[in-house]
Amino acid sequence: MEDMLKTLMRRSFAASRLRNGIAVLAIALTAVLFTAITTIVIGTMESFTLTMQMQKMSRSDGELRYMTAAQFEALRRSELIESAGLRMPVAYLDNALRHNIEFDVEDETQAALTFCMPTHGTVPGGPNEVVASDTALRSLGVEPEVGAEIEIAFSVRGQDYAFPMVVSGWYEALNSQISVMWASTAFRDSHPEIFCNTYREDHNMTGTYFSEFTVHSTVGLEENLRGLVRSLGGEPEDISAPDYLAAVVNRATNVQPSLFQTGAVIAFAVLFMLCGYLLIYNVFDIAVMQDIRRFGLYRTIGMSRRQVRMLINRQALWLSCAGIPVGLLAGFFVGRMTLPMIMGMVATEYRYLAASVSPSPVIFLTAAALTGLTVFFSTRKPVRAAADTPPIEAFRYVESGGGRRTSRKSALGASIPRLARFNLGRSRKRTCFIILSLMLCVVLLNCAGTAADSMDVEKETAFMIRTDFAVVNAVSSSNMKGFTRRAEALQKKTIADIAERPGVTGGTAVYKNTAEDANVTYDFGHSLTEEAYVDEYSGLTFAFDDVYNSYGLGDDGRMICNVYGIEEAVLSRMDLREGETDAHALYEKMSAGEGVLVGVHVDRRDMSLIPRLELIDVGETITVYKDGAPVMELPVLAKAALNGDDVEIGFTVNGPNVIGGDGLFLYLPAAVYETLYDVPSVYKYSFDVEEGYETEMTAFLEDYMEHVDTGINYLSAQTAREGAEGTRRMIRFVGGFVGLIFGLAGILNLMNTMITTILTRRHEFASMESVGMTRRQLTEMMVWEGLCYAAGACLSGLVLSVALNLTLVRRLVGSMWQFTFRFTLAPALLACTALLVISAAVPVFALRLFHKGSIVEQLRIAE
Amino acid sequence: MDIVRTQNLKKYFGKGSGRVRAVDGVDLCVEKGKLTAIIGASGSGKTTLLNLIGGLCQPTEGTVTVDGVDLGTLREDELTVFRRRKVGFVFQDYRLVPELTVRENILLPPALDGSLPDAVFFEELTGLLGLGEKLDCFPGQLSGGGQQCAAIARALITKPSVILADEPTGSFDLKTSQNVAGLLKMTTEICHQTLIMITHNPQIAQLADQVVHLQDGRIVK
Amino acid sequence: MECVLRAVGLKKYYGSGDTQVRALDGVDLEIEQGKFTAIIGTSGSGKSTLLNMLGGLDVPTEGSVQIDGTELAKLSGEQAAIFRRKKIGFVFQNYNLIPVLTAWENIVFPLSLDGQKPDLAFIMEVVKLLGLEGKSDTLPNNLSGGQQQRVAIARALASRPAIILADEPTGNLDSKTSDDVMGLLQMSSRTFRQTIVMITHNPEIAQRADRIVRIEDGRIVV
Repeated sequence: MEDMLKTLMRRSFAASRLRNGIAVLAIALTAVLFTAITTIVIGTMESFTLTMQMQKMSRSDGELRYMTAAQFEALRRSELIESAGLRMPVAYLDNALRHNIEFDVEDETQAALTFCMPTHGTVPGGPNEVVASDTALRSLGVEPEVGAEIEIAFSVRGQDYAFPMVVSGWYEALNSQISVMWASTAFRDSHPEIFCNTYREDHNMTGTYFSEFTVHSTVGLEENLRGLVRSLGGEPEDISAPDYLAAVVNRATNVQPSLFQTGAVIAFAVLFMLCGYLLIYNVFDIAVMQDIRRFGLYRTIGMSRRQVRMLINRQALWLSCAGIPVGLLAGFFVGRMTLPMIMGMVATEYRYLAASVSPSPVIFLTAAALTGLTVFFSTRKPVRAAADTPPIEAFRYVESGGGRRTSRKSALGASIPRLARFNLGRSRKRTCFIILSLMLCVVLLNCAGTAADSMDVEKETAFMIRTDFAVVNAVSSSNMKGFTRRAEALQKKTIADIAERPGVTGGTAVYKNTAEDANVTYDFGHSLTEEAYVDEYSGLTFAFDDVYNSYGLGDDGRMICNVYGIEEAVLSRMDLREGETDAHALYEKMSAGEGVLVGVHVDRRDMSLIPRLELIDVGETITVYKDGAPVMELPVLAKAALNGDDVEIGFTVNGPNVIGGDGLFLYLPAAVYETLYDVPSVYKYSFDVEEGYETEMTAFLEDYMEHVDTGINYLSAQTAREGAEGTRRMIRFVGGFVGLIFGLAGILNLMNTMITTILTRRHEFASMESVGMTRRQLTEMMVWEGLCYAAGACLSGLVLSVALNLTLVRRLVGSMWQFTFRFTLAPALLACTALLVISAAVPVFALRLFHKGSIVEQLRIAE
Repeated sequence: MDIVRTQNLKKYFGKGSGRVRAVDGVDLCVEKGKLTAIIGASGSGKTTLLNLIGGLCQPTEGTVTVDGVDLGTLREDELTVFRRRKVGFVFQDYRLVPELTVRENILLPPALDGSLPDAVFFEELTGLLGLGEKLDCFPGQLSGGGQQCAAIARALITKPSVILADEPTGSFDLKTSQNVAGLLKMTTEICHQTLIMITHNPQIAQLADQVVHLQDGRIVK
Repeated sequence: MECVLRAVGLKKYYGSGDTQVRALDGVDLEIEQGKFTAIIGTSGSGKSTLLNMLGGLDVPTEGSVQIDGTELAKLSGEQAAIFRRKKIGFVFQNYNLIPVLTAWENIVFPLSLDGQKPDLAFIMEVVKLLGLEGKSDTLPNNLSGGQQQRVAIARALASRPAIILADEPTGNLDSKTSDDVMGLLQMSSRTFRQTIVMITHNPEIAQRADRIVRIEDGRIVV
């Protein structure tokens, strides 16, 4: 029995090649959609994780610090831990030029977790062997090669040490600022005096054990770590406790997708499922309808419903097996190709971006499952129709649907366009499906178009930078770092080299206070709470006020604030809002010591000052303290609205965050700044270039960064603009892609319907031709039918586009500051034109291909 | 022994002014082994009557009993099995599955049932109908008459209780009509089958043991 | 009386050699204007094939058909269609009405295809004659078989064709309705002096015509 059914299945399957082809195409298309999105989602997560890990130079799950040797051993044996690396920090080397070299004792596990394994040479074995990065070695004055001899110098607990070492291996540095040089435990064993554990007494970390580790499961990691610390006999929370053990979860490794991202993914998945459903349902519906008489026959001679269902389900399975793999493959490549574009949008701040996605089985399994699910849902109704239609009705089946209507007001003559319009009423459901798909295409394309057009590139650029170029220390280009230390200041030589380049105009250097400038503080009567915490990155203590603004504190417990020393040119570019708004006058007054400019952050949507951060008004006075004693009184002369360029550069805010926090942003003339601060540090050099010199300057800076001063980075108005343009391009791309998919679905449905129409209304066409309808008139009628579908879609699409754009899109776009709503109907009109043309063309070709045979032959098709 | 019996059988379609009384109170008895011809003009209800007997549609009123079983008591699934095992159909347009060979077409009903056909019977039957050499051809390769013979074989293979033939010779010219009709009568006799045949051809009707004249849904004399 | 239709030596053969089917084997036929002719034959006698030839729906293997002086075989597909809608009216066994058009719209369909404005007075007369008043706005699915056939007949009459070809017009109707329809055909023929050729296998029906032509095995028999 099974054989017979199988034979039947196989043969009837093979006989309808065109229909199968369309079905496979539909399924494949759906698979492409799902695979593409899965690839992009997983790829984005992967790429981000890797990038952030590389930024943080660690791919561990977490880190424990300040352990004793016994605690470390216990850690290793803990059930929670998968693998633990050994790290005993020694000190930063003193003798490295412009590059921070952290010297540690490590084992291979640790090195592997922190990207320090040598790519050339071997791991250190003897007590005088080290592995270091190429940048580190160069900064020590040698070329990176195995066997190179170097000298390292550092101090621990006030003692200076110097050793000759040999390079056993080296690796390419991930980070231009800092890298790790490590020796094996043999070094520790031969220098026990360096490594005695005095943490309990002086909180000195040399001699303690650090460990970065991976765990079996990251679920509830923070909780587990605290428990782990306690089980090791340490104190996880009180910093000042003698047995304090720091337990840190590596956020870079454990990226939590934001609610927005998860929501977006789900929205897309549902959208694709809907599209796939529309597509596949129609194909199968038509297929069953074409074969309804055949199924009627089967049922007549005794095929049970279950057997009929099995027949169709099996065929659907075969079609899926053909369509899904192709779709998976195509979808993966589509996803992989678009991944860099999408990452480019989200990652305007990251310089080293690793966009990679590996063909993991998760991607394919998920996509295949989703597609299979869609196929299943789409085929339920058609299957039921085939199995449950009573055999007799099946034989009498002529698709003339809409039987509810019994009469209508007659027109004088039956014109062909009207006839076409009425024909659409035969299968209301199918008509709706097609119009729906096409309409969604139009609407989506237009929404994407409006959103993209609303992307205000100039606004975004203007926020990021006020000049053509700005050169900063590389730390300023990472929002996990930012400018905080004197050592990160720009070198005079670098500034000079840039200034003397041809075409450079209006170059200005800007000073900023650092963590080391904690001796200069400010007071203006703002009360702070007792709560305090220490920022890990800058080392400064922070306190809060009653609205939970945070303030960095200086040596004397007063606010350190974010203080900038600027030249007049810089002031003239700023956005003065209150008080003395004439830049020249203001600068003169400030230079005379008459007061200071206070800057306030803005709500980027409308560039209004954020009330919570308006800590002081024009006219109030700020007292400046140095080394604990008041040295200056500065009345507030004016307030300015701050953009990214005023605060640090671009979108980086971490520098000011970890220095002054939410505290006052003060702008002083450079001369005044120099009197207050002992070691004025230039953190940025801004300049414009004359027309036509941009490319040259960009090339120069790129080259300079690579070969001369590796510590710098730059932002140009051009790159900022390009970043924004990238976002716009991405919106267009994604929106266009999805819209296109729906359009394709609609057109495929249209084609399918047209072909079916021609095949099943053969008899009717023949009788129309017998009473005198010419071929041309028949074509005309079909073309009108196609146009009716398109017209329905276009009309509803246009209306819906306008409605959605003016409501939903406007609101969405309004909530994002980078956008200024700009309405456009162009994409919809374009899509409509294309749809009209295609809908008119499809019937012509379908007729040519399928309307064959003489009238007599077609009339002979029995009822 | 009555193999088929209908009592006050009625089948109406639609309602109101458009109501069609296809079968309007038919009492019919068909003896086992006999050939019954149902004749009448188009629209007289012949096909509907046949469909009712074959369990292809449900009566509006009245009962149909085939081989002792009241069809009205059977559920949809049971009706399907009933059709498979107890009824053989022959249609005017043969209705063979084009993708299956003649042999496979004939063996389709038993295959659906999961049972193996009687090989000896199969050979006999196909021999009688002149299909011996054409078993592995596809329906499209046979003449109209040949296809109808295959359909007849398909109807007979499960040794059903009754064969229902709806204008089996309707598509043929005179000569083929007579051939096919003759074969039909012969094979059903040899297999001790009961045949109920619809025809509008009086000459074919003459071959029958019992002629039922249907007009406007009722039996007339 | 003039000859509306003239067929000479019509032959239609299918296939070749042993299995050749000779549907028409040399048919000569002349139909006079205004007459109601019935062509009677059993299934497979070739009557349907003959009708298809006469209507230009199929091309003969040999022989010619002339309607109103025009040689059908000389017309291209497009020309044939245009000729049909002006000069030939068809009535089929299964009515073949367009399901999405009302009765009225079906009736004027061939005229609309021709771009002609319907002669309202004439069509109203036809509608009245065929008892279709009040049904003009009804869609076919709400009409009985007899009513549908009457609409089909009206459609055939509407363009005042040279000849109406009816293929088993009462084939799908019960006896009473058959009777009605035949009466209408007769009446139409007389009232409008319309030439009608009808094929049937039913001798009783054939009796209603002015003239009976018998066909058997592809040939006209006397």
